Amino acid sequence: MTDSPLLNRVAIVTGGTGGIGTAICARLHREGARVIAVDRDAPKTEMPEGMRYIPLDVTSEDSVKAMIADVEGHENQVDILVNAAGIEIEKTIEDTSLEEWNLIFAVNVTGTFLVSKMVLPLMRKTGAGSIINFGSYDGFIADPHLAAYCATKGAVHALTRAMACDHGQDNIRVNAICPGYIDTPMLQSFFGDSGDIESLKTAVRDVHPIGRYGTPDDVAGLVNWLAGDEARYASGQLWVLDGGLTAQVQQMKL
Amino acid sequence: MDLSQKIAVVTGGSRGIGAAIVSALQEKGARVITCGRGDRPHDLHPDVDWQQLDVSNKDDVDALKSHIQSQYGGLHMLVNNAGVQVEKTVTESSDDDWDQVMGINAKGVFFMCRAMIPLMAASGGGAIVNIGSISGHHADPSMALYNASKAFVHGLTRSIAVDHGHEKIRCNAICPGWIMTGMADAAFDLAKDPDLAKRDALARHAAGRFGAPQDIAKAAVYLLSDEAGFVTGQTLTVDGGLVAASPLQPGLF
Repeated sequence: MTDSPLLNRVAIVTGGTGGIGTAICARLHREGARVIAVDRDAPKTEMPEGMRYIPLDVTSEDSVKAMIADVEGHENQVDILVNAAGIEIEKTIEDTSLEEWNLIFAVNVTGTFLVSKMVLPLMRKTGAGSIINFGSYDGFIADPHLAAYCATKGAVHALTRAMACDHGQDNIRVNAICPGYIDTPMLQSFFGDSGDIESLKTAVRDVHPIGRYGTPDDVAGLVNWLAGDEARYASGQLWVLDGGLTAQVQQMKL
Repeated sequence: MDLSQKIAVVTGGSRGIGAAIVSALQEKGARVITCGRGDRPHDLHPDVDWQQLDVSNKDDVDALKSHIQSQYGGLHMLVNNAGVQVEKTVTESSDDDWDQVMGINAKGVFFMCRAMIPLMAASGGGAIVNIGSISGHHADPSMALYNASKAFVHGLTRSIAVDHGHEKIRCNAICPGWIMTGMADAAFDLAKDPDLAKRDALARHAAGRFGAPQDIAKAAVYLLSDEAGFVTGQTLTVDGGLVAASPLQPGLF
């Protein structure tokens, strides 16, 4: 491996200014890639050379088209696509309105579909590519009061396998990362009003076999591996990244 | 569901889940043979045929096969329920622990299936139910050999289903979660605060209760009966929703 294994690669990261997305952009940039962070929200800090921001609403076909046209005009290549944009709604299905249901599917599922669909021609032209979707361990087992979110992640898992089957012949690999508990604003929101946050955090750490919950950098490490040539035979898989959490039977407090 | 005149053998039928399966099969009219390493349990129904044997001993299993052949002339149902657990990690486990856990939980199931499948095939087909565990899919801490032995059971279940389906033999496994037996009660008694521990454990069950041996027996009867005629090679989790839920539920802390 060279010092910059992703040199001359171009990466698009959706949700690129969010909690996990920011760490992914920074990591891919450090590995030598030219990074395009796309997000509804503009970055809070100035971006270094080799990284730029394009505003994007992943649920809008026009917005995605405009973003792709911009990339075609400037970089004219895409080697890596990270579909990290996502939202969660903390409700059971009874409390979830149709609008909320449609919104979370629009961002988490339709967004992954739309951006991938429109990136594919450019990726094919580039000659090879790696698409990394965001599933969740919640696509396998349920967290309470996250019903629609769990359903969207299950959909992303199935889409990941389908895309890997369809586009492998074009030398395009498709994988999903399924994070467990990652320290992000979304996790803080999930902790929400569950009482004493410090004792809660201790309890959460204790239930993980490796004794802590994950960081955005942990996720960025797996993105980097899946994006690069070291993972050249990895495709169609759902990579659970959860510190061993779901390898266990539920840990009762005895 | 009528199982009258069907012949069934259930290993480990002296107590707990095994005893519940024996009773359930008998209530449906089956002729039941069960076995264990100890003497005939006092509370066993007089119609049940008790054979004292160790499933990890090949001679014992062969003797059981001869007994069934000569006394019943065939076999339709086999339930591999006998099992032991040793609460240790890999580095703590001795050679004897391996021999005991794998001998009964893995080799015993193999011996029984190898001996009984030809009897079932000669009887026009049949059904096997193996007792696996949720621990064969997800690890219970300090139960390394037990967890591994149950994963073996799941794998063997699929293999038998695939290899012997053409002999009209179906094979499935049940993966129980927390079933209240003497063993589970003892675990709660060891807790720092048994009441709190019990409340915590209950909150993790969507069903709002722990399992009873009868819950597993009902699933076994279904899988053994013609109602499940197209079900084979599967592992059926019966756990009140335990493993469907995330192990991390902030509401519990």
